[in-house]
Amino acid sequence: MSKDLISSLLGLAVAAFFSIEGFISLKLGTLSQPGPGFFPFLGGVALGLLSLIQILKSLKKKDSLSLSGLKSSKFLLATGATLAYLLLLEKIGFVTITFLFLFLLLRLEYKGWLVSAASALVGAVSSYALFSLWLKTQLPAGPFGF
Amino acid sequence: MEIFQGLLYGFQVVLQPTNLLYGFIGVFIGTLVGVLPGLGPPAAIALLLPSTFSVPPVSAIIMLAGIYYGAMYGGSTTSILLNVPGEAASVVTCMDGHAMACQGRAGPALGISAFGSFIAGTLGVIVLTFLAPSLAKVALSFGPPEYFSLMVLGLTILTYFARESMVKALMMAVVGLLCGSVGVDSISGRYRFTLGVPVLMDGLGLVPVIMGLFGISEVLLNLERKGEKQEIFAPPTKGLFPNREDWRLSTLPILRGTVLGFFLGVLPGAGTIIASFASYAVEKRVSKYPERFGTGVIEGVAAPESANNAAATGAFIPLLTLGIPANAVMAILLGALMIHGLQPGPLLLKQAPDVFWGIIASMYIGNVMLLVLNLPLIPIWARLLRVPYAILFPFILLFCLIGSYSINNSVGDGIVMWIFGVLGYLMKKFDYEGAPLVLAMVIGPMMEEAMRQSLILSAGSATIFFTRPISAGFILTAALLFVLPLLTRRKGVEKAWESVPEESE
Repeated sequence: MSKDLISSLLGLAVAAFFSIEGFISLKLGTLSQPGPGFFPFLGGVALGLLSLIQILKSLKKKDSLSLSGLKSSKFLLATGATLAYLLLLEKIGFVTITFLFLFLLLRLEYKGWLVSAASALVGAVSSYALFSLWLKTQLPAGPFGF
Repeated sequence: MEIFQGLLYGFQVVLQPTNLLYGFIGVFIGTLVGVLPGLGPPAAIALLLPSTFSVPPVSAIIMLAGIYYGAMYGGSTTSILLNVPGEAASVVTCMDGHAMACQGRAGPALGISAFGSFIAGTLGVIVLTFLAPSLAKVALSFGPPEYFSLMVLGLTILTYFARESMVKALMMAVVGLLCGSVGVDSISGRYRFTLGVPVLMDGLGLVPVIMGLFGISEVLLNLERKGEKQEIFAPPTKGLFPNREDWRLSTLPILRGTVLGFFLGVLPGAGTIIASFASYAVEKRVSKYPERFGTGVIEGVAAPESANNAAATGAFIPLLTLGIPANAVMAILLGALMIHGLQPGPLLLKQAPDVFWGIIASMYIGNVMLLVLNLPLIPIWARLLRVPYAILFPFILLFCLIGSYSINNSVGDGIVMWIFGVLGYLMKKFDYEGAPLVLAMVIGPMMEEAMRQSLILSAGSATIFFTRPISAGFILTAALLFVLPLLTRRKGVEKAWESVPEESE
């Protein structure tokens, strides 16, 4: 399957969601009194048509999809660490999670344990100082109070 | 005379010490963003937007605007010294700028790009000063149908200038419009497409979406690229001033670059990247020795560097006069104005003259600051370039995380950012662009409101968009732009993009 075909099928799915949701649950209203579903419905229809054009175009073209990057450990680690950061931030507090986050990612491509740990510690503490103490951003505290 | 009074008022606003300070911070961070590869102006401005919630709107906008045109200055430094564009609009500068550095002429190359940027930026602001108020007056007579048609035209121009096929760009624009409809419907007050998720009740946040599409996904893409070591040229500390011969060769290219760049900057979607490439192509065509381009001719640095600055200035025209953003950065500035309770567009001049004239005046001052800031600080910027990406990227991600959290002190926006980060990565892999999505998302709610008001106005007849002359003109132009590519293909646009390397956006 070519990558244009995959993406336009996805487009079709999104189009279906918005137009059906707009048509059924939000109500179109009338032309002189357009309802909340009117504009999303039109948008969904337009996206559907465009996706169909793109599907037709993709049938002529042959290219195979390469998503080798998705499988690479760097991609998984970076996206995984970012998501984990968000999920754990309010549980274990800003400084702790920031330290772990920086440590993990610095280790990914950079020097040994000690240098990474030291840089992560400096990074975590100084970003706490910068954002929380100086810029007064409210950052969540962990069980240890920071 | 109105204009001079306005400008004078603008200077009074800008010259207040706090505003001067914010302007300085803005252009300083902008230069930094321009220098550092991997963090572009849209992500950087989105990142800093939450920190401006508590300052007066004028100061906030002055700072955020400064980041944008400051980045245009900074981007050239890395292009010349490192052959790595810190910013997409400086890609073309690499060709002759780096060649000049290899010949030991890094000084004049850096000098002419700073002076060229200054001249173009200043000339651009002068045109902006005179054009914006009169355009705003014209726009005052626009009703909902005119606005709707104008936004249709804007989105069409945007997709016309797209790198990939127009169909794909249109798909992204429509997806953006649909994303814009998430949240409360402004007319009926109903929740739409929130999927029961609290963070979506207020709609998809512009800041997390942009940080995801332009910040997170950029990091993910960069991680995949081979980290090749580049030779950094020892930055010159003296001899930054171009000599008389350099000036003789550069004057006309700077002026041509300014005119072309400004014009392209006004158009949605064309922006600074196309402007710099187009002006390079023009210089090559008019030159007596086109074969020497790429080997270190100073015209090849002067023209594109002027063009990208002029384009950055020109992009403010549609924002200030019509309330329609021409690129992703203007979309955030529009969001910033609205967060501060201001309505960008023709009424801005009346409702908030301090903001309107403040932005314009701040650009005069900002350009002077940048000239003074850039030349002596070049050695420091060059040093920063030695920081390897392996150290840089965890901090870019961290800043995005903190930025997204600080919007509402909740992780909801962070999750939105994460999703759009992965989405942006996939879009790149599937050859889709993020800019049409962001722009359409911002104007989506305005467009919907204009459409529904028009239909209420006309009692349900869609002919209202065609019977009012100005509106009909916009629609007709848009239709022409749709039909044209079918007949002739978008030769000029395709050619302009051909020379832009894939990874540079």
